[in-house]
Amino acid sequence: MLDTVILGDNQFFGINHMSPEKAQALDERFRDIGAITDVIDTAYRCGVRGFMLNTNERAGEICDYLRENSARYPDLSMYPSMPYAHKYANAVAEKGIFGALREFILAGSSAGDLGGLIAKGGASLFEQDMLKVMQILVDIEMQIFRDLNVKVVFLQNIVTDLLLGYGVKDIFAGFAGYIRDKYGAEPGFVTMNMPALVPFLRDCGIENPVVCSSINPAGYFMNPSIAAYEDALRDGGFQPMAMSILASGAVGPREAVEYVCGRNGVRSVVFGASSEKHIVETKELIESYATAA
Amino acid sequence: MNRESIRVGFVGFGRMGITHYSILNNHPNVNIVAVCDASKMMLRVLGKYVDVATYTDFREMIDSDKLDAIVVSTPASSHAEIVRVGLDRGLHTFVEKPFTLTAADSREIVDRLDGQHVVNQVGYVNRFNEVFDEARRLLQLGVIGDVRRFRSEMYGATVTKDSKSSWRSKQAQGGGCMYEFASHCIDLAVYLFGEPVGVSGSTLQSIYSSTVEDVVSSNLEYGNGCLGEIAVNWSDMSYRKPANVVTAIGKDGKLIADRYVLKLFLRHARPDLGFHEGWNTKYITDIAKPVRVYVRGNEFTNQLDDFVAAIADGRATTRCSFADAAIVDRIMEQIREDAAGEGVGARANEVSVRPATTRSWISRLLGAGRLDRA
Repeated sequence: MLDTVILGDNQFFGINHMSPEKAQALDERFRDIGAITDVIDTAYRCGVRGFMLNTNERAGEICDYLRENSARYPDLSMYPSMPYAHKYANAVAEKGIFGALREFILAGSSAGDLGGLIAKGGASLFEQDMLKVMQILVDIEMQIFRDLNVKVVFLQNIVTDLLLGYGVKDIFAGFAGYIRDKYGAEPGFVTMNMPALVPFLRDCGIENPVVCSSINPAGYFMNPSIAAYEDALRDGGFQPMAMSILASGAVGPREAVEYVCGRNGVRSVVFGASSEKHIVETKELIESYATAA
Repeated sequence: MNRESIRVGFVGFGRMGITHYSILNNHPNVNIVAVCDASKMMLRVLGKYVDVATYTDFREMIDSDKLDAIVVSTPASSHAEIVRVGLDRGLHTFVEKPFTLTAADSREIVDRLDGQHVVNQVGYVNRFNEVFDEARRLLQLGVIGDVRRFRSEMYGATVTKDSKSSWRSKQAQGGGCMYEFASHCIDLAVYLFGEPVGVSGSTLQSIYSSTVEDVVSSNLEYGNGCLGEIAVNWSDMSYRKPANVVTAIGKDGKLIADRYVLKLFLRHARPDLGFHEGWNTKYITDIAKPVRVYVRGNEFTNQLDDFVAAIADGRATTRCSFADAAIVDRIMEQIREDAAGEGVGARANEVSVRPATTRSWISRLLGAGRLDRA
């Protein structure tokens, strides 16, 4: 069962597309890990039990804190999203995709982990078994979340949507199976193309996947159309999670929540907030509609 | 496979080729039949998962598979050669930016196109960003009046150390801030304000790199009282992602645009366009339409869909043609010469100016007045 209200993490990492000034202010405010954990504390105190965290440079620090203070968050569920593709984009441009992957795998693994696979030159692994490569990459990133209660592991949208274009079912099915078998968590997929992804995941044989996508009355980041999203939600067959419900500020909170909670099957919302007032208001608003629906 | 579908071959399968493939693969009018890349490992991995012919020699690919179009995403140093071979076979061609590494190559290819009905496009993706395109529309409508001054800026944290081994540090391979960043910035200036007649005050500067420039600045001269500044730095570590900003000062207002937000300050209200006097803000959420499929941003899908639509519709024009991109290559070369003190300024180049595709509206926009420089 997904948490109804899940705290997102963009605000902690200076991400605000609409305003470089706000992005800078966020970056300064959350420079110290303490400022981030204060917000997590506040959210937890207000009853938020889900936390979605991208595997970026600072995720390790945050997870260290959560482990050290686990007694304070007995019911906290983590929703990791991986890989942190932005960080590797530059390496891919310089070294090619395999060069970047090889570097990443070597940096993130002990020699024993990899046995002879990489020792034979690295090249062979990609050609022999991309599923194994995927598993190694997942394991490296999941290290960050060790000993925490992980509910869903998401494949981040840049990778989901890029691979969707190739229609490679093995990788999606392999990811879903690996997350379920090895980590006992639900496989999740973040996407900007939900109506195309959902039937594809069904064709991959992935049962009832968690699919996180923008859902807002402005139609922002809802491709190919808001109508296609509404149809896909009506048809069901997956666990929809809503993000970007405010469409980067284009929609007011009440209108946004009313729209999202009025969609068939949407029982889970990821939102970014950094003040107690905002967290309480958003949570109460979502729960009032979610309960009524 | 649809009989009508356009048979596409990919030349170059690095970061951009991989992205373009994903975007085009499910296009209802496209059938990707072949991929060429120097990396055999890449081809073997790709061949395991998707049904395409793979090649390490682009000539062999072009000769073997009956292609209608090619998407070229190789290092820029090879663009001219590949594009020429493609054109010889009459292939519709999309090529990544920068077009070629010399103004002469670009000019020669554009001349070669003359009369040939081949769809040709270069990947200056900012032209397909909804905010920049809206800025262009508003400038054409004269919302801020005659533009007298503008600045086109691009900043990013792409290079923050001297990495001699990377292609980025090799100008002959298309490395350097000029080809990578300034090209975008200049193209956006040309798209929004038309083709300048010359350049002046250019500087190329290093911050980290020992073999290429990290900072580019120049003035674009229009010969009618309008001046534009180019300010580019790919070694600004404060940026999370590369960012373009355009600021224009007109006689009736000011326009500021980045990929997400457009701000206007107007002397007079324009109720017909929904703008009041003073500051007005339009967000991408107000302007952007959903895309067929989203991979890296609406603009990446829109540029390839425009390419395919041009082929399907039988029109030769695209929003960013070889001729458009050749203008950028000429300006980049002039900036290098100007910065090296070779005395190529505005006046020296006035004779060699070719008409811009945007010339008719821009001359209207900028007025007919002659340059009144000191």
